[in-house]
Amino acid sequence: MNGVVKAIVVAAVVAVAAFRIWRRRRARSRAQTARPPRPLFAPVFGDVGLVAAREVQARMRGKIFRIGTVLILAGVAAGIVIPVLHKGKHPVRVGVVGVLSAPMKEAVLASATQLHTTVRLIAEPNAAAASTDLRSGRIGFAIVDGRELAVKKPIASTDASTRAQLVRAVAETIGVQKAFASAGLSSAQAKQLAHAKPLPVASLEPGSISNTTAAVSTIGLILLFVMLTQYNAWTLMGVMEEKTSRVAEVLLATVRPVRLLTGKVLGIAVTVFAQAGLIVAFALVLAKAVGSDVLHGAGPRLIVSTLVWLVLGYAFYCWLYAAAGSMSTRQDQVQALALPLSLPILFGYVIALTTVASGSPSRLFDVLAYLPPTAPFAMPVLVSLGRATWWEFAASAAISVVCTVGVAMLATVVYRRAILRIGRRVRLRELVSRTAR
Amino acid sequence: MSGILELHGLTRRYGELVALDDLSFSVPAGRVVGFLGPNGAGKTTTMRAVFGLTDLDAGTVRWNGAPVGPSQRRRFGYMPEERGLYPTMRVDEQLEYLGRLHGMSAPDAAAATTAWLDRLGIADRADSKVETLSHGNQQRVQLAAALLHGPEMLVLDEPLAGLDPVGIDAIADVLVEEARSGCCVLFSSHQLDLVEDICEAVTIIDHGRLVVSGDVDDLLTSGQRRLVVRVQGDRDGAWARRIPGVTVSEVDGGAVRLVLDEAVDSDAVLETARTAGRITEFVFERRRLSEVFREALA
Repeated sequence: MNGVVKAIVVAAVVAVAAFRIWRRRRARSRAQTARPPRPLFAPVFGDVGLVAAREVQARMRGKIFRIGTVLILAGVAAGIVIPVLHKGKHPVRVGVVGVLSAPMKEAVLASATQLHTTVRLIAEPNAAAASTDLRSGRIGFAIVDGRELAVKKPIASTDASTRAQLVRAVAETIGVQKAFASAGLSSAQAKQLAHAKPLPVASLEPGSISNTTAAVSTIGLILLFVMLTQYNAWTLMGVMEEKTSRVAEVLLATVRPVRLLTGKVLGIAVTVFAQAGLIVAFALVLAKAVGSDVLHGAGPRLIVSTLVWLVLGYAFYCWLYAAAGSMSTRQDQVQALALPLSLPILFGYVIALTTVASGSPSRLFDVLAYLPPTAPFAMPVLVSLGRATWWEFAASAAISVVCTVGVAMLATVVYRRAILRIGRRVRLRELVSRTAR
Repeated sequence: MSGILELHGLTRRYGELVALDDLSFSVPAGRVVGFLGPNGAGKTTTMRAVFGLTDLDAGTVRWNGAPVGPSQRRRFGYMPEERGLYPTMRVDEQLEYLGRLHGMSAPDAAAATTAWLDRLGIADRADSKVETLSHGNQQRVQLAAALLHGPEMLVLDEPLAGLDPVGIDAIADVLVEEARSGCCVLFSSHQLDLVEDICEAVTIIDHGRLVVSGDVDDLLTSGQRRLVVRVQGDRDGAWARRIPGVTVSEVDGGAVRLVLDEAVDSDAVLETARTAGRITEFVFERRRLSEVFREALA
């Protein structure tokens, strides 16, 4: 636990130091009106690179990006550190009324160990004192004379808390111990039976998701949803701003529409990579430092798959949002156009979260994992459940790439025809008709 | 730096509306050419067509005899009617960015930015966001964006609109200077007096068709000669009405405006005026461009 605290302290110190350095540099930069460093990739891609570089610069300087990144990092840190801090940190306090035999005591401790927690046995003078401690919350439950367990409120079968699981395990273990005693088994025989290992059970299909994997999967889905929504909004608003500020006309006098649009989405994509990469690197370093379970089991596979689908998801949606931005000239028009585009994202997100919770994907969910609008949410969940092979993952990614190319071509046509039309909102029908130019 | 912009048979229809109707004219280098026409005449559509911003139904745009493409357009400068700048971007960064899109290297773009901001009197606003600048200064930034890369041709849509006299003078000086250095300058405006002062040639269009095109001097001196004569004591110009081929067009506070037929000798008019009294004013009057414009559209 000391390691966790040290890691948090070090992270906090580094964050504060980085913030102070950044503030000082910015103040110096403003005082000297120094120009920001030029992105290195600008000369490589010609005008596309220049447009992309400006986009990266504009986005990364924005308060929304900086504050959003800090908030996401804080959320990820909380998601990683809090479970570690809770894991075995607070032992479950168990009241004991009367005498608890050595085998029973050993069985209680073993149950706690199996649940990755610890127990602290509190001697209670009588049942009334145990009831008082239960009501006050001083103890989680009580073992009364080795014949019954007392809890404050009934424990539902769906309650998955550590305390509830421990109560169920202790009740069963003590019951078995009592049965051994009534059967006249010696303590050695009872111990042997108590430690009997169940036979391994082979299942035809993968089992349900583990708690850690479910947590990683859920955090991944939330990040996917937040980041896709944020980046798509950037694309939409960015294109609309260039249209309404008429700067698009100046740019298009020099740069071809397809190159201008490509530069814009590429710039935001680079920002996506940078932010997502920072978050993943931060999560991995933090998880390693605090000894989180995130790095075990399906965790790494899930992180990679979520990253891949963040990129594929952005690549698919950004063209649609850019086309929508080029068709609108006012805020209300933007909202009217963005709503239908956001529905598949919302649908995919909700159904993916539901599937993670249930641990059992439906046939519909399997299909959604191959449809580009919903695949960014569905496929990582299938990966976390062990329900997708590598070639299924690759097939879904390939379908997404092919559809993205088609969507990009259509969006470019719409963008080219709509970006310089000012006034009323441009209808899609007007743009895709043969006579529209 | 020299060249000629040629527009041949430009035609553009928006459904029933004919924006450009077989429009042809040329803009030679080294001259400031005014592009005139009433609202909706097709000026902006024509200018956009030069930059490929409007798809044409027919016609070609040529620069030095070759069709204009992306590589040529990078050597042109454009200032659209609606100003186009990123509102929250710094002035210097914006200009450098636009300069680099025109093919300049980063150091060249930075140097040109500094030079033009200085030349246009807004060097102290280099690190300001565009949205914090006044309308006039934004216009100067927009002009700098069009000039930064040393264009071979400048196309400016209403560059003088909304400017105060100082701003107009600054921009007018720059346009004339650019033309003197061999640049081809085409700009539209509704301020005909200013066009008359700045331009050496004008092209007037209406309903997408060419109406008049030529040197300003020729247009203003073409047609019947006009004389303004003021004779002491004369109030009605009766002396002039006796001269054959001379028409009194206006009498205003003793100043008599005369329109002379081609055969009329102005010396004869002078002699006749002397018989009426002491001459205090005798000048040939040029037409105003606004008159040429109105006549052309009549």
